[in-house]
Amino acid sequence: MRMRRTLAFFPAVLLLLAVCSLARTAAPIPPVAVEATQGPAAAAVTLPNQSGSLKFAVLGDFGTGKPPEYELAAQMAKFLAAFKLEIVVLVGDNLYGSERPQDFKLKFEDPYKPLLDAGVKFYAALGNHDARAQRYYEPFNMAGKLYYSFKAPKEKVRFFMLDSSYPVPEQIDWVEKELKGSSDDWKIAVFHHPLYSSGGRHGSDLRLRETLEPLFIKYNVSVVLTGHDHFYERIKPQHGIVHFVVGSGGQLADGDIDKASNLTAKGFDTDQTFMAVEISGDKMYFNAISRLGQVVDSGVIERRVPQ
Amino acid sequence: MYHAQAMTHRMGLGLLSHMVLVGALTCPYAAESAPARPSEDQAIAAFEARVKEYVALHEKLEATLPKVSKRRTPEQVDKNQRALGDLIKAARHDARPGEFFTPGMQALVRRILVEVLAGPDGKTVRASIMDENPGVPNLVLNERYPSSIPLSTMPPQVLAPLPKLHGELEYRFIGSRLILLDTEADIILDFTEAVLPQ
Repeated sequence: MRMRRTLAFFPAVLLLLAVCSLARTAAPIPPVAVEATQGPAAAAVTLPNQSGSLKFAVLGDFGTGKPPEYELAAQMAKFLAAFKLEIVVLVGDNLYGSERPQDFKLKFEDPYKPLLDAGVKFYAALGNHDARAQRYYEPFNMAGKLYYSFKAPKEKVRFFMLDSSYPVPEQIDWVEKELKGSSDDWKIAVFHHPLYSSGGRHGSDLRLRETLEPLFIKYNVSVVLTGHDHFYERIKPQHGIVHFVVGSGGQLADGDIDKASNLTAKGFDTDQTFMAVEISGDKMYFNAISRLGQVVDSGVIERRVPQ
Repeated sequence: MYHAQAMTHRMGLGLLSHMVLVGALTCPYAAESAPARPSEDQAIAAFEARVKEYVALHEKLEATLPKVSKRRTPEQVDKNQRALGDLIKAARHDARPGEFFTPGMQALVRRILVEVLAGPDGKTVRASIMDENPGVPNLVLNERYPSSIPLSTMPPQVLAPLPKLHGELEYRFIGSRLILLDTEADIILDFTEAVLPQ
């Protein structure tokens, strides 16, 4: 009897869910400001969404081909309607498991189709789950290189895309030369293994930190974007540099952020997340947005200036 | 061929030792591992010669394939990689473990790892290497890298003192074994016995 009543309710619940879903689709959610609760880098703000600014997203550890990846990708597409992303930077682990042609479709091309169709360009760094041949995959814009840099289409911004699973001396020499030679206002380093992370599973890569951080400090890198740990975390500024872990684009390590860590400015480890970022002049605005469209962190960062 | 190469290598040993020493003194990443010892020079020279020879083979075989752009579709990536892999497998059908990682080279790798892991940062270097590195029970020479296991992280402190590789070759760990991987063909060229000290 109770079973039959439950079954009778089932279509009604489905209908209600469908209506809610349609309502969300019909009205794009504008970026919402929330207070960062654990010592934000600066006061929380709403993205200004100005014309002429550089707008991009950050995504990591996403290529599972499973529903959470698709649902977060749908949220990104929804966000695109209100916030004209030009690029997406990928912090690695772009495809998990097999990498047959059909996997590129299932784990990348299909979920991000609306963005690809809208002309959004993706730039990838490789993670430890990524086959090295991904460097030739056209939509990742690596042009056959395992590490490279590129200038953003707007503002004076340069991204330095590194290969953190294989930091041979030649790469370290290259990154120093590139950073030194760059006159861009914003220098943003992007790679997979975080120099700072409160992850219980992986955590900070201390040896990589030892090698890269002195260069980032010396040559005025303002922001470091990483993944590997499957959550979102904004690290308290380290030597004036703001580090993000954005390894929650498809994978999720629920509850993996060490609550006792003194590194965390803001952490979110209970749902998939991507970052929406806007750079306008000397300011970088960011929102971290969950699979359900909630803004789970936001703030503004001032670029570092040469001393 | 090997005699001729050995001759060339003997002539180059002085220069090589000098380069290794200068490299170790100027390279900050090599701080935890001593430079190669004279007894290891021969093993390094033989390894580098074998690598050079392999890179030449790789390039020769690759040149027989239809030219592809550096920007490819997944189908082109896959097709090219498998075609190159098949050619390399055929050319190296008689490959045996130890072709690159000779006993002398394995001893060098062990010595480097012992020194790096005994240093103050040894624990974190080991943690980096073993991060998502479950190993596999049986490694097969000349086969594709198993897609089910991630690539191990190679800490800069381990990479710096190892002989420099050319072309598309990389060192990686699978469990406690070091492998030599052709990343372009996705093929395991050689592997050591367990070299990571317990």
